[in-house]
Amino acid sequence: MAFSPSDRAATERQKMIAQRLPSGENLLLEYIHKLERHRRGRRAVLIRLSILQAVNRREHHVRIAAATFETLVKQLKGQVFALSNADIIFIFKEAALEEVEAGIVKLRFLFSDDPALASDDREGSTFTDWFLLERDYDSLLHFAQRMLNEERQRRTQEFAQGLVEQQMPRQQKRGEPLTPMMLAKMEEALVRADLANMMRRQAVCAMVGKAPPQPVFHELFISIADLRETLLPNVNLASSPWLFQQLTETLDRRVLSLLNKHDDRTVAGDVSINLNVQTLLSHEFLTFDDNIKASMRGTIVLELQKVDIFADLGAFLFARDFAHDRGYRICIDGVNLESAPFVDRERLGIDLVKLVWDPAMATGKLPNGSPLLDYVHRCGPSRAILCRCDAQDAVDCGQATGITLFQGRHVEALLTAEIQRQKGSFRRRR
Amino acid sequence: MNFPMAGAPGPEIVTQEKLLLDAAERIARIRDGRLAVHVHLSALRPTNRQEGHIRIALRMLEPMVNAYRGQMFLLGNSDIVFMVKDPNPTDVENMIFKLRALFSKDPLTYADSGDGRDNFCTWYDLGLEYEAFLAVSQKAASEAQRRQKAKAIVTKEINNLDAKSLGTVLERIATIDIAKLIRRQAAIAITHQGNAEVLFQEFFIAMSELQKALAPDINLLGNRWLFQHLSQTLDFRMLGALQSLKLTQRPPTYSLNLNISAVATKSFTDFEKSLPPDSRVSVELQVLDVLADSRGYYAARESLREKGHLVAIDGLNELTLRLMDLRQFDADLHKISWSPEMREAEHGDAVAAALMPVAPERLLLARCDSEAAITWGMNQGISRFQGRHVDAMLAAYTMHGCDKAAACTLAQCISRHGVVTGPLRNDCGNNQMLDSSPVMRVARPKQRQETL
Repeated sequence: MAFSPSDRAATERQKMIAQRLPSGENLLLEYIHKLERHRRGRRAVLIRLSILQAVNRREHHVRIAAATFETLVKQLKGQVFALSNADIIFIFKEAALEEVEAGIVKLRFLFSDDPALASDDREGSTFTDWFLLERDYDSLLHFAQRMLNEERQRRTQEFAQGLVEQQMPRQQKRGEPLTPMMLAKMEEALVRADLANMMRRQAVCAMVGKAPPQPVFHELFISIADLRETLLPNVNLASSPWLFQQLTETLDRRVLSLLNKHDDRTVAGDVSINLNVQTLLSHEFLTFDDNIKASMRGTIVLELQKVDIFADLGAFLFARDFAHDRGYRICIDGVNLESAPFVDRERLGIDLVKLVWDPAMATGKLPNGSPLLDYVHRCGPSRAILCRCDAQDAVDCGQATGITLFQGRHVEALLTAEIQRQKGSFRRRR
Repeated sequence: MNFPMAGAPGPEIVTQEKLLLDAAERIARIRDGRLAVHVHLSALRPTNRQEGHIRIALRMLEPMVNAYRGQMFLLGNSDIVFMVKDPNPTDVENMIFKLRALFSKDPLTYADSGDGRDNFCTWYDLGLEYEAFLAVSQKAASEAQRRQKAKAIVTKEINNLDAKSLGTVLERIATIDIAKLIRRQAAIAITHQGNAEVLFQEFFIAMSELQKALAPDINLLGNRWLFQHLSQTLDFRMLGALQSLKLTQRPPTYSLNLNISAVATKSFTDFEKSLPPDSRVSVELQVLDVLADSRGYYAARESLREKGHLVAIDGLNELTLRLMDLRQFDADLHKISWSPEMREAEHGDAVAAALMPVAPERLLLARCDSEAAITWGMNQGISRFQGRHVDAMLAAYTMHGCDKAAACTLAQCISRHGVVTGPLRNDCGNNQMLDSSPVMRVARPKQRQETL
């Protein structure tokens, strides 16, 4: 996604909000315990964003909602907590009641087109729940404990589900298989869908030894999970890999036109975008290229899927030479432990290789028996990225094989923790 | 600059060629210091001059042409002509050099024209060579006019496969008789004794026939991903049809083009069960499929070998050999597609070097459409061949020994070999000979020189 200076300011603000947001059920419970002797004159409001439709409770909605109370937090009149089910709890001093009520009105307005709010009146509301700590302290405490338990359970389930899904063959996953007719509908819907909501960014970070992660660039991508939920909730996109590949080609073009449409948002550097070879030769890409300052291109990484590259090596070489001539860098995406032996970065003339983390990497060997260490070494230092790192063992294993660039949920978490730590130390110094 | 794409139907008859001619005529009196360059992109191979390629070529030239207050024209045949005023020749040369580099994989940029002319582009110093340039422009304009007229007559348009039409095609596939669309082609292996024996018979679905039968107005190969999806269904249909095939003699080895996903299905095991006990299957897989599902590839390779079958990698060419390490496939057979460029040292040597690490009995030269192909392969120590030239050899050998041969031509014998059912086969008076696997006497392949 593109970030103009004004946009960047907005992102900075969001980041600040995220930092100020002591996230999670843990923090909430801890805070409520602390308030045990300070119940008097305090209130809490629970804002149930979880009852909203999925399209209305994405990460940025939660951020916006939390930002409503930003000023009050700054004035030390209250504390805001974002729960993992998207609900928000604001605990505040009674003096701020009117401002909080005003904030709730604003939120109701913001989400007024959501069916959950359309039929919800202020009396007997399900959207909000109010607590008077002096009277309702125990029920708030129970609520917080329950939320923490539920969150823990969910996490265990997700982990177990992840394990099961890893072991299950593709076809057996939930949902009906994607058919050509559904794909046709989906492609049609994509023309109208607001993809801006589904755009995500994730940092690719340099991680050496125990030093904190250093972001190198950010990948901009469409959340396929969100897309699926919005357009075809019961369909298993992975069931038909080739139809899915076709869908990504359509998506690429839509993303490019999205980036192109916002004239005020020139893509600032240090980002990567996903493209198909054919998209690289399209009008949409040339327009994108027009909108980018020449000096920026060197900092933009174009990610191409391995299947797309090997589907037509001639077309790939042409696109590669063109992209290199314009100054872009090229990354081959989707290389897993099994396909790595076929992907020779240097022969392909590609700048970066994105390896998908796989617990089997712990064996340190490729399927052909040669050491992973050698493979990474041949790729070259800082030319291999280990992606989908969901846990520390991925980073440990990657570092053991000489990888220095990492991406994934775990890396994001480390990055956030680091930002908070820095902020903390800054505060202490003050 | 907004260019209509080559071949796109224009709303009016004003072609880019006409505009070029107008411009060429206009500058007749102010031609000093002007330069025109005609870039012959029409001479590129079709795969290298698709819409995207031409678009990028225009894009590369655009800034320079603008800088020298020039004009650029994209002709209907994909050629590009541009005119610039008082250019710095080095600028233009550099840009042409870059453009040439972009197309460096196409013979147009490296093949020798024989007379010292540059095949890729022609320069006109308009101060001196105006007349020649004008003539070229006139010719282009009149040809364009002719094309326009011809196009007005042929209106039927063929669309590329899209998701919606794929849905329809998949429905229709269930209703047609696939056996009629199945073709076969034998491959031979030359032994050390100088015998050429049939190595396997490859069975495949003729795509042009399939298209005719299913959807004459849709280019089934027009969308790679959707075609891949379609091919999964074709696998099942073909495996089913092969089981009920009536041949007088079964080949010892069936070679089948399949998706990796088909190997682990019931259709495949049913097909295996229908085979005589001493027959085996060689499954030909695409590089694309191996990359898309490498885990599946390893599993399929293992399961096929356990059952005594073979794994072949299909469609390898100069590019795959240059960009990949063949050994990583560890297949039983690697099918390299012959192309005439391999006769040229630069290309042939690169291919030969890439083949060196693989044992010769695991290599097959496919698409051998000439004697030259076989000769080149034999010189590299390759002993397995397939292609139209091999078809002709086998047909000629068959006719030599066939009592009904007096009634047929070689071409008839070749085409009857290629089908497995239907009228063509019925026309043959000796189906026994068609299905037989003769042993021919040929020259022996060269021993490999390990120091290439």
